[in-house]
Amino acid sequence: MFCEKAIELIRELHRMSDGQLPAFNEDVLRQVLQEMEALYEQNQTDVNEAKAGRAELIPSIKLRHCCLLRNQRCLTAYLYDRLLRIRALRWEYGSVLPANVRFHMCAEEVQWISQYKKSLASFMRSLGGGEGLDITQDMKPPKSLYIEVRCLKDHGEFEIDDGTVILLKKNSQHFLPRWKCEQLIRQGVLEHVMS
Amino acid sequence: MSDALSDAGSDVNQDDAQEDVMTPAELIAKLEEAWLNEKFSPELLENKSEVVECVMEQLSHMDANLQRVKKGDAKASIHRMEIDRIRFVLSSYLRSRLRKIEKFFPHVLEREKSRGEGDPSLLSPEEFAFAKEYYANTETYLKAVALKRMPPNLQTVDMLKAVPEPCLDSFVFLRVKDRQENILVEPETDDQREYVVDLEEGSQHLMRYRTIAPLVSSGAVQLI
Amino acid sequence: MDTQSYLPVQPGVGMGENFLSLDDIVLSHERLPIRTECRFPRLGFLEKSSDSQDIPEGTKMELPLWLSKGLYEKKRRVLSVELPKVYREGWRTVFNADPNVVDLHKMGPYYYGLGSQMLHFDSPENPEIAQTLLQTFIGRFRRNMDSSQNAYNEDTSALVERLDCLEKALFTSGQSGLNSFQSWEKGQASQLTASSLVLNYRKRKITDLQP
Repeated sequence: MFCEKAIELIRELHRMSDGQLPAFNEDVLRQVLQEMEALYEQNQTDVNEAKAGRAELIPSIKLRHCCLLRNQRCLTAYLYDRLLRIRALRWEYGSVLPANVRFHMCAEEVQWISQYKKSLASFMRSLGGGEGLDITQDMKPPKSLYIEVRCLKDHGEFEIDDGTVILLKKNSQHFLPRWKCEQLIRQGVLEHVMS
Repeated sequence: MSDALSDAGSDVNQDDAQEDVMTPAELIAKLEEAWLNEKFSPELLENKSEVVECVMEQLSHMDANLQRVKKGDAKASIHRMEIDRIRFVLSSYLRSRLRKIEKFFPHVLEREKSRGEGDPSLLSPEEFAFAKEYYANTETYLKAVALKRMPPNLQTVDMLKAVPEPCLDSFVFLRVKDRQENILVEPETDDQREYVVDLEEGSQHLMRYRTIAPLVSSGAVQLI
Repeated sequence: MDTQSYLPVQPGVGMGENFLSLDDIVLSHERLPIRTECRFPRLGFLEKSSDSQDIPEGTKMELPLWLSKGLYEKKRRVLSVELPKVYREGWRTVFNADPNVVDLHKMGPYYYGLGSQMLHFDSPENPEIAQTLLQTFIGRFRRNMDSSQNAYNEDTSALVERLDCLEKALFTSGQSGLNSFQSWEKGQASQLTASSLVLNYRKRKITDLQP
């Protein structure tokens, strides 16, 4: 049956329902586009014959057209869902994405996310009449100003509000301003220790 | 502090200006109201950029005051905590709006386009700029990766049809602030007569969003 | 929730379908028994059992829902769609007798979704199908809700394995509500945590490395 390749793409994403981004599947994408081309060409031929009087070809033309639309839908949905996953990465990782994630994007996706980052940044900068507010922080209601954190891996030097620099060494424990740590906790560098 | 919080419009007469002044507590209450409504309503609500701007001003005001307080003062950390809490509500409010703008971008822009002159705008200027860029960016991407490689009659996708609209039939919890009479819950059908209720002040309900959407924007009910 | 950043396009409600929803696309790939009501020239290769050039009129075959829906017309019949067994009268009687005993995963897993989609095809049985779908859902809902709200820290695989996809999604959302409530009660809700997406990526990297 037609459109089997297209559903393969959809299933690939559907299986990873947690939002992870699998590698961009240019190979299958190209196969779907090739199938579309073939369907389109066959339909062109049949349409011409149908116009010349062979009306019995119409059901087949219609069937191929349904397949073309289906392929178009699957490809669009595949790409759109990937954008939603890529967008999530910006919110989870912060503005710098790790190489192993970027590796899974195609060139246009890299472009999309950098434009998205730009739009988001200028949106945040323009808030409050140009004063700016980082809304990717403060994801949970604050309970205290300072929190106890444990370092899960070596991260190097880290500057806090008042200019003090501390060394984030694996297994070291620190008492730090909450809003300074949020991102590092989300990235799994620090762990919030609850007393 | 009060002049920092008053609405713009310094040349109106004294009486009007009096009405426009909000205390910080009232302002924060307004923000929380907008925040909860936005968080729980399935569709994007009218923007409250004047509240956002006032809160931002208030925050930097508080921040500036804190700079003057001596280090180690116990009062300072209570104030800082207060700043953090307000900033959380504000960020969370703006986040839920941004998320809905992304989720419904073609519809949001369409509503903005078909808005009559003088009607309040759904989006703040910053949000409008963001939505337009999001639309263009996404369209460019879809075109470049797939659509332009498709047969000629399939190179466009109607984003208004493709991206789902908000589901106004979702159910929401609400608290009534101003008593309402004769709210139509279900229209009349073949099998049943129309179903109408009165909403008493202070009472709480679980209802279809569509039926009470106008009451949310008028402020007669609060989503919870 | 603020904390989950990947929000896929939701499936359509009722008889509707969302163009970009992966769930709806997978659902519409379900195959339906159909009978062709006209000849489809030059497409014989789609029907494996025949070696003719065309699909002749009157051929019984299976087509995916999306294609049946696309070809179906009320006025000019190009194909007629048969009801899959689970929606026929025999099974409807079973569902109506006790909806809790049926394994909707095995019978579906898109029992409700596909059933609602079947209503697009003109059939005199449509009112009964719709009624059975609704009653089955209502009949199973209480148990589904109770178990999702009470199974805390338990292995729920046995509870879930007989559920339809829609029910499973509801069960999961009930469970996540329960878990959030429990963690709030224990005072853990304010704990800042690593992004689950980040953690899953790391897990994947590790499994990638394993031979």
